[in-house]
Amino acid sequence: MWNKPWKMKEGFAVGTGLIAVGMLLQLAVGPVAWGAFAWPINGVVMAAFVAVIALIYILRKRVYALMFLGTNYAAIPAMALAVVLTIVMGLTIQSAEGNWFSNMLSFWPFVLVYMLIALILGQVIINRALHFKWKRDIPFMLNHLGLFLAMTTATLGNADVQRLRMITTEGQPEWRAVAENGLVKTMPMSIELKKFIMETYDDGSPKRYASVIKIAEKSGKEFEATIDVNKPIVVDGWKIYQYGYDTSMGAESKISILEMVSDPWLPLVYAGIYMMLGGAVCMFVIGKKV
Amino acid sequence: MITWDQFIYFAVAAVLLWAVGAWAAWKGKTKLAFGTTGAGLLVFFSFIVMMWISLERPPLRTMGETRLWYSFFLPFAGIIVYSRWKYKWILTFSTILALVFICVNLLKPEIHSKALMPALQSPWFAPHVIVYMFCYAVLGAATVMAIYLLFFKKKTVTAEELEITDNLVYVGLAFMTVGMLFGALWAKEAWGHYWSWDPKETWAAITWFSYLIYIHYRRLPKGNQRLALWCLVVAFVLLQMCWWGINYLPSAQATSVHTYST
Repeated sequence: MWNKPWKMKEGFAVGTGLIAVGMLLQLAVGPVAWGAFAWPINGVVMAAFVAVIALIYILRKRVYALMFLGTNYAAIPAMALAVVLTIVMGLTIQSAEGNWFSNMLSFWPFVLVYMLIALILGQVIINRALHFKWKRDIPFMLNHLGLFLAMTTATLGNADVQRLRMITTEGQPEWRAVAENGLVKTMPMSIELKKFIMETYDDGSPKRYASVIKIAEKSGKEFEATIDVNKPIVVDGWKIYQYGYDTSMGAESKISILEMVSDPWLPLVYAGIYMMLGGAVCMFVIGKKV
Repeated sequence: MITWDQFIYFAVAAVLLWAVGAWAAWKGKTKLAFGTTGAGLLVFFSFIVMMWISLERPPLRTMGETRLWYSFFLPFAGIIVYSRWKYKWILTFSTILALVFICVNLLKPEIHSKALMPALQSPWFAPHVIVYMFCYAVLGAATVMAIYLLFFKKKTVTAEELEITDNLVYVGLAFMTVGMLFGALWAKEAWGHYWSWDPKETWAAITWFSYLIYIHYRRLPKGNQRLALWCLVVAFVLLQMCWWGINYLPSAQATSVHTYST
């Protein structure tokens, strides 16, 4: 152990050490308080994380452990430990109020192991970027930078996601919507239910439900739209979904529950997702040479 | 109107054609192998299409219906691999596995009602599931190859044989990535968020990382071949959890939005 060059053993040691640190953190400060990461904190954290990645890269020739982070011997154990922790997550009932294994997303070891993966991704991305060869490195970049972008921005941007429910009623414009924590928020638009549409199969199970709504924006702009399940519309940065209805009334429901979602980090996450899709196509076409 | 009752006729015809294709591949009759396997696929797919029409929805909802696609994609993946790398054993393997899934569907038919809940009525539905089924088929092939090399092959494993498993994993992982990301894009349209760590998503992430481990491990200059092959076997077990195992998990049953058993 710890004879250079480091191999998989040392990689696992680094990863398990990180898990131990995570456990200590969990005991000391409790679960990761993701709610505290709302803008602009998450922007600062993202910038700091990228700075740390760059710093590690710069110092890698002086500190061997940092050089090691850019190798497969670090990456494979990190992924293996992530798999183990995620399996625990998959076998345990998760809840936002849970602790340790039952709230894995806020469990320090879980978060730190995925951070280690992001850190390693950062090292290999910089390394390739500085020795970039078009044909050789495009698929690599799509896969690795795409994953890096998607996982970091999805995680840090999560605190800025707003999900609200609005109960719209026939003939009454509604401005207010309720957040998951129960807070009432006034929206930048009012929505009035014109008509609730419900179609059923012969056995009575729902085939389609949708809302014809009239939207009035603050600017005075008014228009009608139909929102189906799976067919949300976007108004003023808010994605509006068909969520529910008065199930006791069924097709006669005079109300329709809409969900309104705002996710300012979505374009960054999608950029990552589309890069990975491109990377997957390369992987299929080129195969092992990726 | 076609119903599940007529499945056996299509299945028998398709399997016979595929079996002839498999035999032809062993004998080196490439054209015959392509012709009969293709014809078998056509017969089988025509059943899927007719089911699609008579159900008035894509037959992708129940486990039985996804097995239908799996039985189709195994020989389909087989013929693609055959055309690309000319492995003469691949069509035999794909035919046998397809037969297994056809038998499961014949012996344990599940309720195939017409109803398709609104949440599943999306243009993403078919590509999401079909791409995943193709991925499972290819990774199934990789796993069988790994098991053969681990337990049945007496001589040492050649670099060429490992190359085969590598190629299969790269193709499978490419499709898995696409399937997973299509799922994320669809989830945003259907549920408001692209990734919610739903039990199915959690297991999808586990499976995805498992195959990434294999790929990265195989890139090490002096990797242990047997360990790499074991990695594939374990990854495929985890994939089963993701595919159907979670239906039996207490942690998933209550909470997963992916359980569409009605």
